Amino acid sequence: MAETGRLTAASVRAAPRLGSVTLLRIAIIATALLTWELLAASGWLYKDVVPSLIAIAKALFNLLTTRVMACQADIPMGPIHLRWELWMPEFYCHLGRTAREIGLAVLIGGGLGLLVGLVLGANRFLSRAFEPIVYYLGPTPKIIFFPLMIMWFGLGPGSKIAMGAISCFFPVALSAASGVRQIDQVLIRVGKSFRANAWQTTTKIYLPAMRAAIINGLRLGIGIALIGTLLAETKLSNFGIGSLIIQAYSLFDMPRMYATLIVLFVLAIGANTLISRLGHIDPIRSR
Amino acid sequence: MAANGNMTWQKHGPAIVGCAVIATAIAVIELLIRVDLISRFVMPMPSEIAVSFERVIVEENIPRRFLLTAGECFGAGILVTVIGISLGALLHRLPLLRQATETWVGALASAPTVLMYPLFMVIFGRNATTIIMMGFAAGLAPVILKTVEGLSGARRVLINVGRSFNLTERQLFWKILLPAALPTIFVGIRLGLIFALINVVGVEFLINFGGLGQLVAELAERYDLPGTYATICFVILISVLFFMAMEKAERWLRPGA
Amino acid sequence: MSVVPMPRMGGVAKSQPGDAILAVDDLVMRFHTPDDVVTAVDHVSFTVAPGEFLSVIGPSGCGKSTLFNAVGGLLTGYEGRITVAGERVSGPHRAIGMVFQEESTFPWRTVIDNVAFPLEIAGMSKAARLERARHFVSLVGLNGFEKRYPAELSGGMRQRVSMARTLASEPKILLMDEPFAALDEQTRLLLGDKVLQIQQDLKQTMLLITHNITEAVQMSDRVLVMTYRPGKVKRIVPIDLPRPRTSDVVGSEAFGRYVAQIWADLREEASRGLQESEARVLHPGTGGHGG
Repeated sequence: MAETGRLTAASVRAAPRLGSVTLLRIAIIATALLTWELLAASGWLYKDVVPSLIAIAKALFNLLTTRVMACQADIPMGPIHLRWELWMPEFYCHLGRTAREIGLAVLIGGGLGLLVGLVLGANRFLSRAFEPIVYYLGPTPKIIFFPLMIMWFGLGPGSKIAMGAISCFFPVALSAASGVRQIDQVLIRVGKSFRANAWQTTTKIYLPAMRAAIINGLRLGIGIALIGTLLAETKLSNFGIGSLIIQAYSLFDMPRMYATLIVLFVLAIGANTLISRLGHIDPIRSR
Repeated sequence: MAANGNMTWQKHGPAIVGCAVIATAIAVIELLIRVDLISRFVMPMPSEIAVSFERVIVEENIPRRFLLTAGECFGAGILVTVIGISLGALLHRLPLLRQATETWVGALASAPTVLMYPLFMVIFGRNATTIIMMGFAAGLAPVILKTVEGLSGARRVLINVGRSFNLTERQLFWKILLPAALPTIFVGIRLGLIFALINVVGVEFLINFGGLGQLVAELAERYDLPGTYATICFVILISVLFFMAMEKAERWLRPGA
Repeated sequence: MSVVPMPRMGGVAKSQPGDAILAVDDLVMRFHTPDDVVTAVDHVSFTVAPGEFLSVIGPSGCGKSTLFNAVGGLLTGYEGRITVAGERVSGPHRAIGMVFQEESTFPWRTVIDNVAFPLEIAGMSKAARLERARHFVSLVGLNGFEKRYPAELSGGMRQRVSMARTLASEPKILLMDEPFAALDEQTRLLLGDKVLQIQQDLKQTMLLITHNITEAVQMSDRVLVMTYRPGKVKRIVPIDLPRPRTSDVVGSEAFGRYVAQIWADLREEASRGLQESEARVLHPGTGGHGG
């Protein structure tokens, strides 16, 4: 019966109506918001820890629209420097700076990680020699290397980028290595039987077969680079989203801190989902 | 015999090469610093670092700090495991709730929860509770997700075997679903614990409280570079030990895997 | 369409409907998909006598697995009656033991713990159930492997464990759904020997669902041939080979004739099945209609 596909009663039962799911979600969100507002109003927790939703909404609005400043950027591209100055709310200026740091971190750390991962995955000897190092260094919190990064790269964006890069390197390398190893060997034998050369094998077999692993590695890498870079900013910086959070904290401006965190989370989750969707991967299963 | 030699090389060769490369790298760095090609202020000599190990252990009370950090990890780990699996089982039991919230949990897993540490500090204060809570917040989502995945991914035929023996719902869950889901749940716990560990030490560093993470921050502030490096080595050590312990535990709890 | 088999030597007693340990009466099973109604099993009736070995054979898509699940009580919502030892089947029944096609050993339990599972459920004490389980482990020829885990065993050995586990619950009828489908032919023949031996020792009633003609003829007292979907009983063939039987019988002339006869029936159905599945790929949403 296997070839014609099993007709089980289960497959024939209709899926739960989408309507009830949405209703439940709305109910949950509404309850959460309500509880929040009640907590805020009652003053049961230390007053400012749970500001009212209106205060947060106001802070959110202010964050995204006020404190306009001249945002300068200076991007060295070899012998030329790209400079500009735009007027925008301060938040976006900081966002831009952070985004640039994360982007470079992912490029450097992720790129290197991919390369190393591919090599380790393809070569058993090298893998057994060096992969344990990568494997065991992986779960170490990279933020503790930050003082060293400052030593090596100075107080400016360099140390933040370095922070993001080393955070990102390890998971990407491990992901790539395991991705290479998971390729069904028979596919490689097919390539050999058709006498494909190394380049063809890499581009026509390895990379397509690894699509999921690469996308996942990218997703993971960006997420972790984001954390590494932002943490570095919170510890020592005048610029970037991380520093905005710390500023709000030091001024005890809780609504502003919440607002910044909300925007940050929305962006982080959004980026994650976007990449998964683009790569046709279920964001939940492939974690 | 040549054949024997070959087998030894096969077995230990990679490890030897790996260690050799690291040792060589350390030696090269030592050399470069001594001849001033690398500034002493950026990177202390490996020999200095080695010497500072003892000093750091004795003066900075590494054992106590080690225990403190380990204790926080343990606390976060227990919370993550117990609450994570329970919530995962709950979501599995209530399909409607699962459909509604699974994507949210997935989003939480990828969110930079650690950045909420200033917030947690305000709520819980600058103490161990904040650290444990941050570890918990970071590690919870993967455990929930993997628990749900494991329970719902239990092979149909195993459930049918249970049904053919007329098992009650309860028996079905404890004797078949849960054991079948255990491998996947373990993956989730491992992930959760890793995130918890990273966050525990990271937050210790950031809020300057606690065990090893705090020590790194302190020594760095004092410009004690060799000490900083030495402490970082201890942090790496703790994560390695943690990891190995987890693998041992998994192998013990899942024989025949 | 029940057929009363002819009496023969050393075999099963003449069976009357009253004697039957399993009676399937006018079974109809329809599945409702969003586009379509598919009749998997169409007015199938037959009986199985105590101690008898009945095989149900048919092409893929003939409703065999539906039949298996219905008799086993895992599937309800059909028309018609299924009775076991006089009682109506409405859920998994104590008198019916099921051996599934897929890998069904519990990977987290040792062999002995797998086999002891039904006894554990029944509340037997640890010592008693291990003792009983050992008996069944040796019945399927796996002495010495009690403490091993399924991952350490071959596919054939794992299926034996599944079988021992079901036998340990001492069912009146052993219901098997293509238990050897994943094994190679030689292993299959040898395991067939084992099953025959067990059946002889325990005088166990067995109902085997299979698509393998050799297997069906090797082991059965009667073979029930089904048509392609909608599944009906095409023919019931009494297998008049002497008992006790072993896999040696596979080489005999009589064996060959039975196989040829059944193949002649099956071939027609199998071709129809092939055509329809091809048509379904080219024109999805058509074909496979029942009734």
